[in-house]
Amino acid sequence: MTMASLTTKGADETAAVGQAVGSQLRAGDLVVLTGDLGAGKTTFAKGLARALGVTQPVTSPTFTIVQEYEGRIPVAHVDVYRLDRIQEVHDLGFEELLEGRVTVVEWGEAIALVLPLERIDVRIGMDGVTDDDDDRRVLEIVASGTAWSARRPGLEAALAAFGDA
Amino acid sequence: MLLLGLDTSTRRVGVVLANEHGMLGRVELGGTADTAPPRHAETLAPAIAWCCERCGVELAQVSAVAVGIGPGMFTGLRVGVTTAKVLAQSLRVPVIPIPSLDLLAYPLRYARRLVVATIDARRHELYWALYRQVPGGVQRVSEYELGTPDDLVAELEARGEDALVCGDGSLRFADAFVPLGRRVELAGPAHASPSLSALAELASARYEREDFCAPSEVLPMYLRRSDAELAWNREVV
Repeated sequence: MTMASLTTKGADETAAVGQAVGSQLRAGDLVVLTGDLGAGKTTFAKGLARALGVTQPVTSPTFTIVQEYEGRIPVAHVDVYRLDRIQEVHDLGFEELLEGRVTVVEWGEAIALVLPLERIDVRIGMDGVTDDDDDRRVLEIVASGTAWSARRPGLEAALAAFGDA
Repeated sequence: MLLLGLDTSTRRVGVVLANEHGMLGRVELGGTADTAPPRHAETLAPAIAWCCERCGVELAQVSAVAVGIGPGMFTGLRVGVTTAKVLAQSLRVPVIPIPSLDLLAYPLRYARRLVVATIDARRHELYWALYRQVPGGVQRVSEYELGTPDDLVAELEARGEDALVCGDGSLRFADAFVPLGRRVELAGPAHASPSLSALAELASARYEREDFCAPSEVLPMYLRRSDAELAWNREVV
């Protein structure tokens, strides 16, 4: 069930939504980011990490696969784009990464099979983007699982500032 | 003989030093109540250095490196097994690999029940193996298995005998064993982690028998889950 569908006008606003989501997260939470190259997944992750007290620069983890950041809550930023087999997800110790950290996964839809059901999915779409308006993004945010159904009001309140599209 | 033992198959980072007379000392970090992210990579090397310093020995005196090879946490095993191999290689000493489930079972060798060693495998699964008492130790009577708590409970149900279940897997999934009633007892937090004294004792015996291997031969014990190719639709941009 889609919880929120927001339209952002630029990278700063996409990061701000990331920050709003981040403000609601606890150790053990998983956020899955989906969107084409250039959609703003890393931009969203930057905002999210900022909300968790990460002060280091957050960069795309495509080539490191897993990047860890220290914060109020530690953050693991994962990019599975270069992985070819599910076994490589296990070899990363993926489920161990979740312990004591907030984990953000880019391109996570491809490994949905092995992802915990308790998670937030963020789909960043570029529908309707034109040359004049190429920073416009549509963000769909879905919180799944029983724990999130109890925490949903807090997340909704944090996202209310951005208004529904 | 001076033996250095490492086990990082669970959240617990364990280091032990022993000689032919017994244990000199040990360091354990990352207990069952520790909720911070596991820090095997950050804590293992300093723990080894500190343990050596406090025990008054030099790494150069080590005559063999024993290591728990799992099954267990992927990240922990990689750190522990790699550290053991690199240390052994640079010190030109052999490695004594021991399955971590065996290290859980060995301290329960006085129990007159089936001993079930478990390690939390995450994703609602656990690694396990079954053991029976034999003179001087325990003997494994099953394969090293990976399955859900329900799989293990079904196995114990089918065997229908008294059992003692140890390891962090049994702590995490304690509720799953309730239907088995009084036949099955959980060993509790004191038996949550692979035993470092067992590592020292079992490895010392193997060192005496020259039952060890070259660093290059040592591999972590990964019990593989089903593999599948990721369905990428990578578009060429």
